[in-house]
Amino acid sequence: MRLSRLRWLLVPLVVMPVGWLLFTGLGHDPRLIPSPLVGQPMPAFSGTTLEGDRFSSADLAGKPAIVNFWASYCIPACVDEHPVLLDLAAGHGGELQMVGVLVNDTPDGARGFLARYGQVSWPNMLNADGNITIDYGVTGPPETFFVDARGIVVARHVGPLTAAVVARELASLGLEP
Amino acid sequence: MRRLALPVAIAALLALGGLVVIELMRPAAEPTQAEQARQIAGELRCPDCQALSVAESQTAAAAAIRQQIVEQLAAGQTPEQVRAYFVARYGEWILLAPTSPFAWWVPAAAIMVGVGVFAWWWRRDGATVAPAPAAPTSGMREQIRDEAERLDA
Amino acid sequence: MIPTLGHLAVVIGLAATAYAAGAFILGGRSGDAAVLASARRAVYAAFGLVAFACLAMVLSLLTHDFSVLYVARNNATTTPPFYSVISLWAALEGSILFWTLLASGWASLVLYRYRARLPALMPWVGATLALGTAFFFAVMAWPSDPFVRVTPIGLEGNGPNALLQNHPFMGLHPPLLYLGYTGMAIPFAFGMAALITRRTDEEWLAVVRRWTLVPWIFLTAGIVAGAWWSYAVLGWGGYWAWDPVENAALLPWLTATAFIHSSMVAERRGTLRTWTHALVIATFVLTLVGTFLTRSGVVNSVHAFTTSGIGAWFATAILVTLGVALGLLIWRLPDLRDRRPPGAVVSRESAFLFNNVLFLGVTFAVLFGTLYPVLVEALSGAKASVGAPWFNRVNAPIFVALLFLTGVGPALPWGGASWATVRERFAVPILSGVGVVVAAWALGVRGAAPLGILGLATFVLVVMGDEVVRGARSRARSRGEAAPLAVLRLATRNRRRYGGYLAHVGICVMAVAIAVSATLGSDRTATLGEGESLSIGPYTLTYDKLVTEPLASDPRVIETRAELTLAGPQSGAIATALRDYPNSSTAIATPVVRTGLGEDLYVTLLGYNPATRTATLHVFINPLVMWIWSGGAIVALGALFAIWPDRRRMAVEAAVAGA
Repeated sequence: MRLSRLRWLLVPLVVMPVGWLLFTGLGHDPRLIPSPLVGQPMPAFSGTTLEGDRFSSADLAGKPAIVNFWASYCIPACVDEHPVLLDLAAGHGGELQMVGVLVNDTPDGARGFLARYGQVSWPNMLNADGNITIDYGVTGPPETFFVDARGIVVARHVGPLTAAVVARELASLGLEP
Repeated sequence: MRRLALPVAIAALLALGGLVVIELMRPAAEPTQAEQARQIAGELRCPDCQALSVAESQTAAAAAIRQQIVEQLAAGQTPEQVRAYFVARYGEWILLAPTSPFAWWVPAAAIMVGVGVFAWWWRRDGATVAPAPAAPTSGMREQIRDEAERLDA
Repeated sequence: MIPTLGHLAVVIGLAATAYAAGAFILGGRSGDAAVLASARRAVYAAFGLVAFACLAMVLSLLTHDFSVLYVARNNATTTPPFYSVISLWAALEGSILFWTLLASGWASLVLYRYRARLPALMPWVGATLALGTAFFFAVMAWPSDPFVRVTPIGLEGNGPNALLQNHPFMGLHPPLLYLGYTGMAIPFAFGMAALITRRTDEEWLAVVRRWTLVPWIFLTAGIVAGAWWSYAVLGWGGYWAWDPVENAALLPWLTATAFIHSSMVAERRGTLRTWTHALVIATFVLTLVGTFLTRSGVVNSVHAFTTSGIGAWFATAILVTLGVALGLLIWRLPDLRDRRPPGAVVSRESAFLFNNVLFLGVTFAVLFGTLYPVLVEALSGAKASVGAPWFNRVNAPIFVALLFLTGVGPALPWGGASWATVRERFAVPILSGVGVVVAAWALGVRGAAPLGILGLATFVLVVMGDEVVRGARSRARSRGEAAPLAVLRLATRNRRRYGGYLAHVGICVMAVAIAVSATLGSDRTATLGEGESLSIGPYTLTYDKLVTEPLASDPRVIETRAELTLAGPQSGAIATALRDYPNSSTAIATPVVRTGLGEDLYVTLLGYNPATRTATLHVFINPLVMWIWSGGAIVALGALFAIWPDRRRMAVEAAVAGA
């Protein structure tokens, strides 16, 4: 083969990597950011809840827990996942602890949301200074962290929870879905 | 005029050199905490907006991070510790300038390869390509006209 | 009814462009004039059809016809007519419709203008343009149909994206940018035609140069207008965030600029011909990459349209274009051999070549930085970000080197320069640059970036000034013309050179303004109660009161504005607001900018407390910002001057052709 024929190789040499990059890029969602907290102990927090009580993450110790970041302005995602959370509390109230954290929301807004879409049995942190949001590396509501009984974060879900997501993550917490 | 050129050039270069020396000798002001906070905020990505840094964004999340930076610096943390704090929570994703050396060397290497190829081509073709046929191209016509205009009868 | 007709027009348009592509290829092979004429008419018809489809969409938007999904998503009954009309390009499907309008418009214009010229090239130019337009019609016929209907029909729509309806600049910046983007198909079509027909001569080069400069002017204006929009709307006090979509517009601009320079070397010296072809191809492929980045959801960006299924279509189009064009180029390499050796190391062509290496270096760096997150994720699964700190640090040195070459190139003669020439041409400019740096330092300007750029810009301007004076003096001497007349004649007799100089003046203005505004500005954030004031630089701002009321033009939008009294070099009553749009979770800032020759005062309302009536303001002093826009306008004017038809040259060419 003459050397000049080799230059035809340039076509696949350029086209194939570009194609690989473009098509693998299409397969990824730039909005899904893996959390470095997975496998780490959950960041501790304490503060005032929507009801005006004090609550500390130490109160969660001993049982698997779900930390759900939400806001009343997060529509429709937080509205969509609200019944899923209510079902979860109804089905696993005894073996699972839940806590909500408000993301940049007002107490009145949050109370209005709950009055409209269903009151909840678990505490919701006001998180007025936004420090819990930062400690968990939350990019925007809704986001949910699944923590095992030893206090280790086992998973994070970005976006609204669905029954399928909950079933999968409960299994990883060692609970029956 | 021509005789003046050399002294003027020397004087100008001396002035520039002096300027550089003065600038270098001037003790660099220790950055204040506010300046450090600003610097760090400029390097962190605002978590709930696109492409903007925490320093530039108006969102509540960005404001909370700015506040945290100020508090942590005030509590005696170094800028590196503050950055590490956010990386531990958000991942490398929060840094607007990736730390991987790969990200920095690839563009630099590309420029160097480009210059290298350019130099190689210049030497090779400069030596081997035969002179052009004499047919005047429109480019040459224009060049001739151009030069003529420059000299003009 | 109207949307159905619009959809029908799209489908017929697809058929027309597909027919045109086939007929151009057949006609190109057989030379049958009737077939070629019918192909041309099919392209004109496609333009008419897509114009009709756009009209149908605009009518649907204006009449708030929520049976059309696009209208329901991007319009509301309260949307003002102006924003209804420009919603044509505010979201994915509509923007592709508008894109197709411009692409087929360019194609028709070129085919009409050259209907009787370049008979060997034009069938292939037509085939390439028709294929490109057919692709966009196909995208509208399948994955991204703008006329999809919904039932049940809602009574109210979602309204346009809040960011896009907050400033009239949305009516200007996308069309300019799109005109630039779509126009880059023309040089590409000529490039393909030249490779297919083996007519890669100077005639070809002259046509392609002109038809690259035309869209280049629009692209330049579109990029600058986009930066201005970002500055006036987004409220962060800056104008360029290295957002992936800003980068997507910059990439083809960089390669097209490299082409404009390298084509001069190719034309004058008969060298760099393969390279010049490669740049034409790269520019077009990068416009496709830009659309891909904006519309596929691969990267996060302010401008990214909602994720859609068209990513795979664009990725395939990019690969096919790249493969075919590269294959053609390799096939014709023997025709593209250089006719002449390159000149000496110190010559104008070496400066141009080095300029090209640097332009390609910036292009590579910007492309690499934009795709770096995709690359890292594909290789390691990790997420990474690349933003302004990286882009500024990597690109700034290359841009500085480019600015330096802007001065070096024009002062060196073609072929090579002796040491004496170099000394003679550069002594005064270098000394002037140093002088200006020292003077600026003495006047209190500090910092390496503004001083360095000021010195470099002075150097470049003096080099060009010297050239103009030299040329004008010789004209004045030989023809006895007065100096101003000599300068004017000199410029109009050699539009390309002096248009280029004018563009370089604009670049110098922009470079100084960017360096100064980036480093010498200041800003302050403060929370004020009513009646309190804050001071920044020579200005004092007093916060008078907080007003919350619905917007007169669209009552669904609630505006909360802080009314302020400004005192200082500029004074008067100003107001800066946050607007709550019903379809946006975050309030949209409406900054107030007081523009001055020396500096802008820029005030954004960050937040407010309705109970305590306090307002948090972010105030910037941004020096020289208006010179960034002005510099951009000078660049575009320079290019316009360069391509303005030259009667004398046309006469010369006609005479040569007749001889």
